[in-house]
Amino acid sequence: MASDSSPANNHDGPSSPDDDSMSSPIGNTFSSPGNPRRRGRRSSVATPPSRRSSRFATPEPTPTPVTRTNRRRRRSPDPVTTPIAATPSSADEAPPSSDGGEFGHPDEAPPMFVWGTNISVQDVNAAILRFLRNFRGRDDASVEGKYMMAIHHVIEIQGDSLEVDAHHVFDYDNDLYNKMVRYPLEVLAIFDIVLMDMVSRINPLFEKHIQARIFNLKTSTTMRNLNPSDIEKMVSLKGMIIRCSSIIPEIREAMFRCLVCGYFSEPIVVDRGRISEPTTCGKQECLAKNSMTLVHNRCRFADKQVVRLQETPDEIPDGGTPHTVSLLMHDKLVDAGKPGDRVEVTGIYRAMTVRIGSSQRTVKSLFKTYIDCLHLKKTDKSRMNAEDPMEVENGASTNDEDITHDYEDKAIILLYLSSQPCIFMKYSTSEILSRKPDIYERLTKSLAPNIWELDDVKKGLLCQLFGGSALTLQSGASFRGDINILLVGDPGTSKSQLLTYIHKLSPRGIYTSGRGSSAVGLTAYVAKDPESGETVLESGALVLSDKGICCIDEFDKMSENARSMLHEVMEQQTVSIAKAGIIASLNARTSVLACANPSGSRYNPRLSVIDNIHLPPTLLSRFDLIYLILDKADEQTDRRLAKHIVGLHFEDTENSEQDVIDLPTLTAYVSYARKNIHPELSDEAAEELTRGYVEMRRRGNFPGSSKKVITATPRQIESLIRLSEALARIRFSELVEKKDVVEAFRLLEVAMQQSATDHATGTIDMDLITTGVSASERMRRESLVSLTRSIIMEKMQIGGPSIRPLELLEELKKQSSGAEYHLSDLRNALSTLASEGFVVIHGDSVKRV
Amino acid sequence: MVGREYDLIGNPVGAVRSTFEKAMRAGEPPFLVDGKDWGATHSIPILDRTTLPHLQPNTLVRYRGMIQDMLGNEFYVGAHKDGGTWTTNKFTDVSHLPSEALSDSRIWERRLLYCVPVPGQNIWAETYSDFVTSPCLNNTSPHGEKRQREDCADMDIQASDQDFQDSTCMKKMRENMHSSQLCPKERISEGSTSNSDMVPNFDIKSLPCVVKIYDTPESELKLNDVIEFVGLLTFDPKLAADDDTFDELSDGLCEDALIHLPPSKVPRLHCIVHQKLTSHDFLSGSLILEPKSSMVKGVRESLLGHLTSVLGNDELAAHFMLLHLLSGVHTRVGLVAVGKLSLNLTCFNKEILTVFGNRIKAAVANLVPFTMCMPLTIDHLNSVSLAPSKDYNTNRLVPGLLQLTEGTHLTVDETQLQTGTLNSVGVENIRLLKILLESQKVDYDFKYYKMEMEADTQVLILSEGKSNILPADVILPFRPQPPRVSDCVDMEALKAWRCYLATFRSLQHSIDSEMQKRVEDDLVAARQANRSLGSSDFSRLLTMGRLVSMSFGETCLSLEHWQMVKELERLRCERSNQ
Repeated sequence: MASDSSPANNHDGPSSPDDDSMSSPIGNTFSSPGNPRRRGRRSSVATPPSRRSSRFATPEPTPTPVTRTNRRRRRSPDPVTTPIAATPSSADEAPPSSDGGEFGHPDEAPPMFVWGTNISVQDVNAAILRFLRNFRGRDDASVEGKYMMAIHHVIEIQGDSLEVDAHHVFDYDNDLYNKMVRYPLEVLAIFDIVLMDMVSRINPLFEKHIQARIFNLKTSTTMRNLNPSDIEKMVSLKGMIIRCSSIIPEIREAMFRCLVCGYFSEPIVVDRGRISEPTTCGKQECLAKNSMTLVHNRCRFADKQVVRLQETPDEIPDGGTPHTVSLLMHDKLVDAGKPGDRVEVTGIYRAMTVRIGSSQRTVKSLFKTYIDCLHLKKTDKSRMNAEDPMEVENGASTNDEDITHDYEDKAIILLYLSSQPCIFMKYSTSEILSRKPDIYERLTKSLAPNIWELDDVKKGLLCQLFGGSALTLQSGASFRGDINILLVGDPGTSKSQLLTYIHKLSPRGIYTSGRGSSAVGLTAYVAKDPESGETVLESGALVLSDKGICCIDEFDKMSENARSMLHEVMEQQTVSIAKAGIIASLNARTSVLACANPSGSRYNPRLSVIDNIHLPPTLLSRFDLIYLILDKADEQTDRRLAKHIVGLHFEDTENSEQDVIDLPTLTAYVSYARKNIHPELSDEAAEELTRGYVEMRRRGNFPGSSKKVITATPRQIESLIRLSEALARIRFSELVEKKDVVEAFRLLEVAMQQSATDHATGTIDMDLITTGVSASERMRRESLVSLTRSIIMEKMQIGGPSIRPLELLEELKKQSSGAEYHLSDLRNALSTLASEGFVVIHGDSVKRV
Repeated sequence: MVGREYDLIGNPVGAVRSTFEKAMRAGEPPFLVDGKDWGATHSIPILDRTTLPHLQPNTLVRYRGMIQDMLGNEFYVGAHKDGGTWTTNKFTDVSHLPSEALSDSRIWERRLLYCVPVPGQNIWAETYSDFVTSPCLNNTSPHGEKRQREDCADMDIQASDQDFQDSTCMKKMRENMHSSQLCPKERISEGSTSNSDMVPNFDIKSLPCVVKIYDTPESELKLNDVIEFVGLLTFDPKLAADDDTFDELSDGLCEDALIHLPPSKVPRLHCIVHQKLTSHDFLSGSLILEPKSSMVKGVRESLLGHLTSVLGNDELAAHFMLLHLLSGVHTRVGLVAVGKLSLNLTCFNKEILTVFGNRIKAAVANLVPFTMCMPLTIDHLNSVSLAPSKDYNTNRLVPGLLQLTEGTHLTVDETQLQTGTLNSVGVENIRLLKILLESQKVDYDFKYYKMEMEADTQVLILSEGKSNILPADVILPFRPQPPRVSDCVDMEALKAWRCYLATFRSLQHSIDSEMQKRVEDDLVAARQANRSLGSSDFSRLLTMGRLVSMSFGETCLSLEHWQMVKELERLRCERSNQ
């Protein structure tokens, strides 16, 4: 083989022909899996052409065809390196770099094949070149290929890697994709070489080496399914990082110095984890034996990190524990993820043998497996996508990147259809699901399927999950899109279960109990950092559930102070803080789902909602829907409950559970809808909305009735818009149609009928909500006041002796036969009269003035 | 390893016959072994702490344990070419090969399971090998229970001695035998100590084992399953020495769980056959109880009588105790675990506790193969870790007290709870207990997330008032009379009871439509009468109906049993309202 002075040989043939190691390239504990790194480095000192083939020179730890490629390559290093490197440049005569001249020209070289396959290196080379040059996005009409632009961009920003979407490769060249996945080491090496040639032709002065980072494979496996056949293949996995090692400096190039004469050797590149220390001094005059010593600070090191990835909980089958796999990260990927991050990695699955002792040639029959990481992408939680922009202000940003991002996020959705047991499909299932005509009913049924009945409540909750569209006007005024719901009900009506279910389903759901929440705990509090002594702002539950749903159990038991904090959140969707020198306004775009018990433990139907829940009307009016979940003494419902539970206990009885969409699918469906569907009102719907609203307002005015009942307020029309938007979203419709509005009216009415019914008249009365006093009650009070006035006029003289209220009450009862009056009513009336200056009240006596 | 009489290839019928004859010699009447394996596998020596020193490496052994952790898959050189011939490494530990050999090799994979002896296993349910198999059937001497058990163990030895003389085993077998002979004696001492304080003999005898599984679908083996593995015991002293080189591997990459499990402490077993065990497999006698037979009724009556006497003549409590011992989760619908019936016996003051606390615990321990007890004190709650948690440094699942196998009985003694402050651990533990009672699930702590594991634990709570921390399904004030001085338990009856509980716990059960209608009507009527009845009350009634019916060995709910349920419930309500 050639002398050490040839850089190419430094690589492809170690200076001492190391034959046995070639035949067994495995036995290498330190085999550096750091190919991405190595192939990427181009130092200013070293000669680049040698680097190009470095991937091939890297020892392969596993006995797969790949290793044999190695062997073959080594036997004839020159023809190998050159054709690969030169093919792209044959189209363009410009040498790839200043050193390019060293390249032999390949014309006469025979076609090269990846060992053990019929994959021609040249073909792959050409295919990659074609792909990079010609690939265009689907609706991309630009002259240059997408990746050509990307390469230019990388050069501009002095980047060192080019992200390549494997989907694009697949779309453009199916064959190339397959080769890449099956023989990633070879194909990626060729990819890098092609890239480098391209870069150097575009900008010969560009010094950095660009690597291809492949991501978004067509198929991703689970950790569980990794098996020996995946070794040396490109795989893509999802998981959670559980541990990161510290950063390990890995030696890449070693520099030796002669102790005798001080001569510095050429940098020696680490070969298969080993550095061959020169035995003699390279200087002709010296040639001292065993005199070379390593000079640490002139060696070249690279970052390396070992990361452990664990299966995400959703991939673990029943009765299993999560699997873990090690990842090797290099360079830029070091510290790209932190423990706790959910990531999707693309890499090459590799196995490495364990050597016994550092010098022995025997190995253990066990392998250590790891993934040589090529690309790492943080994914979000398995829950509903938290980053869904409810706002539409940006309009349609059909950036290419956005689109690619979109379908990555779509998990494979498991879809249960009534006929087929289950079908695996990519995210389009969400859309397929949405095309079912009964999707609304089906989703309702799937929401908390074990909670029985309460369909209208579930529909309301469904709307809350999907949400309306938030709107920010140019003037700065904003309308929230979040729907707030309050459930009031008797104990034991599974309110809390509904809450926990929604909490499970929602993005960033925060679940608090009213009794345990303080105002600052809900909003934000200022704390002193114990170390620096600075004041820091800590977010509370509402801020933490920004763009999510904040579930508050036992709302009625919350302190007055804490509740008052909710006013701002529920309408303005911000939390303003002004304390300890910190003045801030934090976003809290959260939907509030609260549930409360009536003030007596049971709902008293004779009292208004306000009296029953003891909530300030101001807060109450901020809830779009207020449901009363009452435990009615009704044999029909009892029977259904009994049937339900009997069915639960004895399997053979009818069980209608199979038609239910499971939680992951539901989550995916909701998050897809929230992210991608932004419905707008159609003209027809707007008309219906106006008509319905006017109708609702008018309902308060009975012809011939003097009292005026407000049945709807502007807040209601906002609620209606939100609800109908949410309903359109459920259908994946970009347009709010008339039927959505009709359904929204129905939902509102169902909720209102239960909560805002004036029990005296049976009509909906918004005054009940807004002031806590119904119109008929007000009428009654007014008549009482006038009656009292007339009695006092009759019985008492101005400045005459005082009279006791009890006597007055008796008189009242006498005059108005039939009507029931209480002393408290009378006292109310008297105080009204007193404020008019008609009477004076001294303790327990009334005096006419 | 196995004796000539077990020459299954040369003389299969002979092998079968000889095991059968042995079973007969052990005194089991033939009708009892109908349709059963009368112990062919029992001839394989059992692997536990006491037998370990006597077992030769690379021999066939049997191991019973619970899968405590799964250590993932291992890739190994399954076959390699060694000088022109293919050799395999299957069923062997790490072997050393020249690195050249790897160029021609196949990579295979196997699964690693970390198994431990079943937590809470009672002494009587300890695995017996063939030589200690013969149960003390004829032992009717009226002793106290503790005494009884020792007798039983004594009998075991005698029986094994006898077996010993009869058997014509190979020499190696004899060595094993000695070891198995040793073990019952040890059991006695441990038995009497652990019996008194009811601490499960978990640490003393515990011999964990790393089992390597080949070619088995993943779904077959689940965490917390109790499995009997038959396979090769391997122990390679060379390997133990090698382990130092793991460190050299460095980089934190191979932070292998196995590093922390040196082969010297944790034997390796290469599994050939495995079998999931039910509580039936832990019964020493092989009594067959046919459903609906009159025998069932007899056993039921005698068990009820026993429970009544244990519970100080409180017959109602005995009834509920019986149902409680038969309960188990049979279906899960959403968050609801159907079939559980946790029992809270209230009115345990100091006095009653001293008299009855241990009696109840001991009685339960004598009936159910796996039992655990938990004193609920502030200190205990604040310090103990109930839920298993993942230690990412060692990559192992650290067991918690609530990592129990299906059907384990847990007695929680709340009477010792004093006022005090719970720290965050305590609060978490309380939450875990509550979830366990409500939905029979345990949250395993994986640091970055919690993983819900389904559990099936019968929980009995002893408390002074109604336990507010632990919401049980049935709350019953305990009304005992002073107990009679000695309750003697007939060994044979005890065996029958164990068998009865094991058999009928897993009985299939249904309801016909007519009865269903009737039940529904009753429920509706009950609710009309009392609005406070909710779905949980209905659930309890139906579970009780099922269990009462099962306790008679019936597979279908009958009107008579339903009436019985209503009567029991009426009596319970009456007592609660007193």
